[in-house]
Amino acid sequence: MLQSGSSAPLFSLPRLDGGDWRLERGKSALLVFFETDCPTCRLAIPYLNRLAQALDGKAEIVGISQDGEASTRELIVRAPVEFPVVMDRDLNVSREYDPQAVPTLFLIDAGGKIARTSVAFDKAGLNAIAAEMCAAIGLEPFELAGGHDGAPDTKPGCVSRHLEPRQELKIESDPAASVNLYSERGPRASRVELDDGVDPYEFCYEAGFADPLPVIPPTAERVDRMLGATRLPPDQIVARVPPNYGMATVEKIAANAVMAGCKPEMMRVLIPLIRAACDERFNIHGVQATTHFAAPLVIVNGPVRHDLRFACGGNVFSNVTRANSTLGRAFQLILTNIGGARPGELDMSTLGNPGKFSYCIAENEEENPWAPLHTEFGFDRGQSAVTLFAAEPPHGVSEHNAREGRTILKAISRALATVFSYRFCFGWEAMVVLCPEHVKTLDRSGFAKDSIREFLFENTGVPVKEYEEDGGEGTQFKQLYQRATIDGEECYRKFARPDQIRIVVAGGTAGKFSAVIGSWATGPRGSQMVCYPVD
Amino acid sequence: MKTILVNPLDETPRAAGRPAPRLDSLAGKTIGLLDISKWGGSFFLDYLEKALKDRYGVEQVVRVMKPTFTKPAPDAVIDQFVKAECAAVIEALAD
Repeated sequence: MLQSGSSAPLFSLPRLDGGDWRLERGKSALLVFFETDCPTCRLAIPYLNRLAQALDGKAEIVGISQDGEASTRELIVRAPVEFPVVMDRDLNVSREYDPQAVPTLFLIDAGGKIARTSVAFDKAGLNAIAAEMCAAIGLEPFELAGGHDGAPDTKPGCVSRHLEPRQELKIESDPAASVNLYSERGPRASRVELDDGVDPYEFCYEAGFADPLPVIPPTAERVDRMLGATRLPPDQIVARVPPNYGMATVEKIAANAVMAGCKPEMMRVLIPLIRAACDERFNIHGVQATTHFAAPLVIVNGPVRHDLRFACGGNVFSNVTRANSTLGRAFQLILTNIGGARPGELDMSTLGNPGKFSYCIAENEEENPWAPLHTEFGFDRGQSAVTLFAAEPPHGVSEHNAREGRTILKAISRALATVFSYRFCFGWEAMVVLCPEHVKTLDRSGFAKDSIREFLFENTGVPVKEYEEDGGEGTQFKQLYQRATIDGEECYRKFARPDQIRIVVAGGTAGKFSAVIGSWATGPRGSQMVCYPVD
Repeated sequence: MKTILVNPLDETPRAAGRPAPRLDSLAGKTIGLLDISKWGGSFFLDYLEKALKDRYGVEQVVRVMKPTFTKPAPDAVIDQFVKAECAAVIEALAD
């Protein structure tokens, strides 16, 4: 790759909007080599747009596309790209400048030298180039790429097209050879015409559309009504759903939502929910394919609970409202029909989980005197959100005698000690679902979310004597566990940190029953909870 | 009027995969063993490695471990088998 101080080779390339663009001697410009399917290029483009705007035509930024005209035009509209773009069709200019990755930026000074380069996405590099360009035209320097704008400081790019192996992999008639894994549009769903006399309900079952319960046949009219509730185009890919990485287009999501019995307005929640499920941190691939009990539990927060009538009170985990039941069911249908995690095929769970029919609750924020769950992920209380947790089925904790909050928490801590496996500590999280009556007692005793978590962390342990008979699950890691004395008993702590215990308020106002829900493998090596906003 | 349904199943275009040609024999071959990093994996794979060498005349065994059993093998893991020119890879786990 040409480095700073080298002479910049002169060239002329066709502009996308007609005519040629020339790099001539004495011309200063910022050259940006990019590819249309490179996520790092897409990340960099808005910064370059901002720079182009600040420079206001007094210095030039030129994008050099290494791809064909159609995909370049698509990117320019979609991104959008707000600076001129030229086409390096034969990659001759790419070979001369020889960037190893895209995006690569070459700042050419008026003396015809390369003044500075920046490879891939690099905030420091972008800022240095912006400062130099501003200084050259007497503009006040500004910070182009701030430290906390949601983008990483650096992100590796894609290999430059001229270094890619030639197209040996392209096989005629191979449909995947033309599949762009970064495309945002997918094929429209095929249509199935039923012969007269065919019962659509039986057909859906036989065709493998359904979970084992009957579904509403996804007729074209019903799917159209569902699509009418979103502004997104039907062929837009919302996510690629593991483990098969099937394309969840808006239309496919709508067809499954119809089958589950959703009202059209549920698309508002389903779209961000599918995005959240396919967030790499949640690792739905593992959650779906494991032999463990895990099923994704959906927790709904914010005003959308009332807008769409989600239940957060009595019977919250069961068959109580259309919203909870159909959202949870649509989600599961999408995971099996598009993601491919069918029981007995890619879903190999030993015992399964009744939540795989539908596992969706809303938080009872009205009975929660503390901050609701989604605010712990940085959202305002007034923002609606969906949170996902890779969950075991709920385990009930009855405590009707407690006059003090700590008595309730003692009962809960004993249930917490058994999540995943009694003697297996540290690797698990747990969701504690507190019922309103328990919340009232805890609140009266002066407990709040953090002190509840802290108390449960301090008081949940497994007695060391349980490990004397070696060989059981979790005993092999006991040297990693932390010892603590709980109620005079030498124990290993169940959890590594208080934040492995999550707290949600839900359920009816009568009855002193809370619940503990164990997790699957957690953290970066397992599944991390994710929370996405619902607009 | 005929009923028209919208297909709710996955229709993602994919390359048709073909299984690799089967090996005639293991003798003299380099075989990869992929440990998915579950707790009991090394005991099982130690046994398997010994059996491959003693009973089937495998020349060399290349052992690679995934960083976590919960996720697909990253490219860096697969590349190690490619670099070692393994004739076949056995993926194994034991709790």
